[in-house]
Amino acid sequence: MPELFRNMMKEEWRVHSTMFGSISFALFPVMIFGIAFMGAFLLPLIQAALPAGSLAVLVHANFLLLGFLVGGFGLIGNEVMNRRFGQASLLAYSARSLPLSERFIFVTFVLKDIVYYFFFWVFPFGFGYIAASPFTGIPLERTLLLLVTLTLAFLFGLCTVFILSTVYARSRAALWLAVIVLGVFWGSLAAVTGMNPALFFPPLLLYFSFSYASLVLSCALLLLLFLLSVMLFSPEYAGTVKEVKNSFSPLTRRLSFFPDPPLAAKDLLDLHRSGSVVGQTLFSFLIPLVVIWFFLSLLGPFFPPHGLLFTFAILTGVIASTMYTWVTMFDTFGPYACLPVSVSTLIRSKVSTFAVLQAVPAAFIAAVAVLTGDAPALVPAVVLCLAVSFYAVSVTVWLTGLSPNVLVYDVRVLISYLILVGIVLTIFSAVSFAGLYYALTSVVLVIPSLLFFRRAMVKWDTVDQAGF
Amino acid sequence: MTEVIAASELSKTYGEVKAVDAVTLSVRKGALFGLLGPNGSGKTTMIKLLTGQIRPTGGSAVVLGLDIVKDPIGIRERVGIIPEQETPPSFLTATEYLDFVGAVRKIPDASERAEEWFDLLEFKDKRNVLCKDLSRGTRQKLMFAQAFIHGPVLALIDEPLINFDPIMQDLVKEYLADYVKKGRTIFISTHILEVAEEICSDFAILHRGRLLHSGPVADLALRNEHLPGFFLSLVREGRHA
Ligand SMILES: Nc1ncnc2c1ncn2[C@@H]1O[C@H](COP(=O)(O)OP(=O)(O)O)[C@@H](O)[C@H]1O
Ligand SMILES: [Mg+2]
Repeated sequence: MPELFRNMMKEEWRVHSTMFGSISFALFPVMIFGIAFMGAFLLPLIQAALPAGSLAVLVHANFLLLGFLVGGFGLIGNEVMNRRFGQASLLAYSARSLPLSERFIFVTFVLKDIVYYFFFWVFPFGFGYIAASPFTGIPLERTLLLLVTLTLAFLFGLCTVFILSTVYARSRAALWLAVIVLGVFWGSLAAVTGMNPALFFPPLLLYFSFSYASLVLSCALLLLLFLLSVMLFSPEYAGTVKEVKNSFSPLTRRLSFFPDPPLAAKDLLDLHRSGSVVGQTLFSFLIPLVVIWFFLSLLGPFFPPHGLLFTFAILTGVIASTMYTWVTMFDTFGPYACLPVSVSTLIRSKVSTFAVLQAVPAAFIAAVAVLTGDAPALVPAVVLCLAVSFYAVSVTVWLTGLSPNVLVYDVRVLISYLILVGIVLTIFSAVSFAGLYYALTSVVLVIPSLLFFRRAMVKWDTVDQAGF
Repeated sequence: MTEVIAASELSKTYGEVKAVDAVTLSVRKGALFGLLGPNGSGKTTMIKLLTGQIRPTGGSAVVLGLDIVKDPIGIRERVGIIPEQETPPSFLTATEYLDFVGAVRKIPDASERAEEWFDLLEFKDKRNVLCKDLSRGTRQKLMFAQAFIHGPVLALIDEPLINFDPIMQDLVKEYLADYVKKGRTIFISTHILEVAEEICSDFAILHRGRLLHSGPVADLALRNEHLPGFFLSLVREGRHA
């Protein structure tokens, strides 16, 4: 394990550092640290505006979300092992020829990812608060505790999606069963106690009233989830040969209204056959957002009318923009490089596939508006969500081209993204709070989005595509 | 036009590494041209440059009359390419992949042509299997079919015989030798010298990005030399230089 683990860490480093230089990669955690450090000084201000404890709720929700977004190992496990990924783990693939079990390699891979995410996101963030504690007057114990509970929040998100995604890889029926059981559990918890179920999130409980017993209990629960996931993971052995019906040509004909029908057909087949449509929608979209809804609604009384829905629509838009990574992750540029397909053509095609996927967030926000009794805000909320999503994806495309998953770790890229997207989010949160139909003004985002797309096409055609 | 490829002072550097270093090279129409060199000498980089997959850091090249920087897509429309390591897309079947290539290249009868390739390279039984489940050899066959399906006037192949068993190697060698007889051109890279001597009409030797030699294979016979010996002596000299 140590040997393979070390090599996988090195490989991860190499992939990122060859694409944009070691310094930019190494500065990434430093930047997260800086954000948290400076954020700590704003705390007294924010705390004055928000009810006590609500900021803690939001920060924990964020780390839970991060865990959700990276936990789908069950879904991607076999892709990684068979090197089908764009930014493939070459090592996980080649290690298959070593006398090691597939499960062992897989676990090593998962642990490597967890360690990377921990040191790139969770630790620097928690550490920023710790370092700021002498200046901000927040007691050191509180900041240390925050690091622990944020780590737990991250791991809860990760392990939940890890186990659900491994169950999903085995049997879809079992997954639906698990989702229903979980829903009923949290639902009845809410019904019996009459409280928002998000308040029962173990890391939050721990943060508000610490005890060693509950810490140990939380850790034990996480370990159990992790071990169960590992046991449930079923390596798919190469050589399981299945015949598949030819769907490419019929699909291409049906997609003739797309700018590049064959490219779109290939994307849709990739999404369908890799199990991403259902899997990713569930694990990277629906489950995270439903859970976040409960956290956000804790703050409900402090929003202006419809404010909760609009805030949620913006957040959904940002998450929806990451659907761009669904259509880029199964593809390297390699196979296109032998064809008369330019990078800009491929980007255009990926963005149009992305546009089709936006039916999911649109339907989702519409459903949330109706279910929460805020139907009058339905249209503005959907418009706001889609405008934010297209704007955020245009920035993503401009900054990262066809490699969003790798290039986010470039500090320059992340800072630019945070600024460009952050400004817009701030403006449109404020605007949408002003009244029911003000959110409709977000359609103006079409203009900067188109500009970013146009500039992205020009920019990425002049950059060599790295093939990993 | 008798010159299919004309490179002039073509260079590509990665940081400190000069992967291709001021190479001036020409390939005539109808040649079966072998680019030889040890591992890491710049062969793959050279093929990527000539097919407009990467941009040169110096010099220029014209392929089929088109400039590699100004019209890379035009070049890729006309040539066939088999890259060194690339595999066909995981989630398409062999048939679907060739249909995909046919659709992108706008070949009306791609499906019929694909069938011919399944017969020729003997993998008809695998045609409805997803590429991720194919063996390395079968994937390479598919990459071969992909490069030739539009009958290009020029094909560039990076290490053509890797992953093939001896029977397939023979078949491929025969196919390539036959292909150039109709006035079309093949450009291959290889570090297997015997293969080059056996099938190539012309060859060039690359070492650490620099071109050490370029000329017809027949000239060697006149000088009563064999390619492996000639190659080794040149590369050893290059090492001392
Ligand atoms: N994308 C790249 N980044 C950095 N170095 C590269 C890259 N591609 C090739 N090289 C370097 O260029 C040199 C030539 O490589 P290559 O063209 O692959 O050689 P060959 O195909 O003859 O084995 C090697 O030293 C290789 O490490
Ligand atoms: Mg090579």
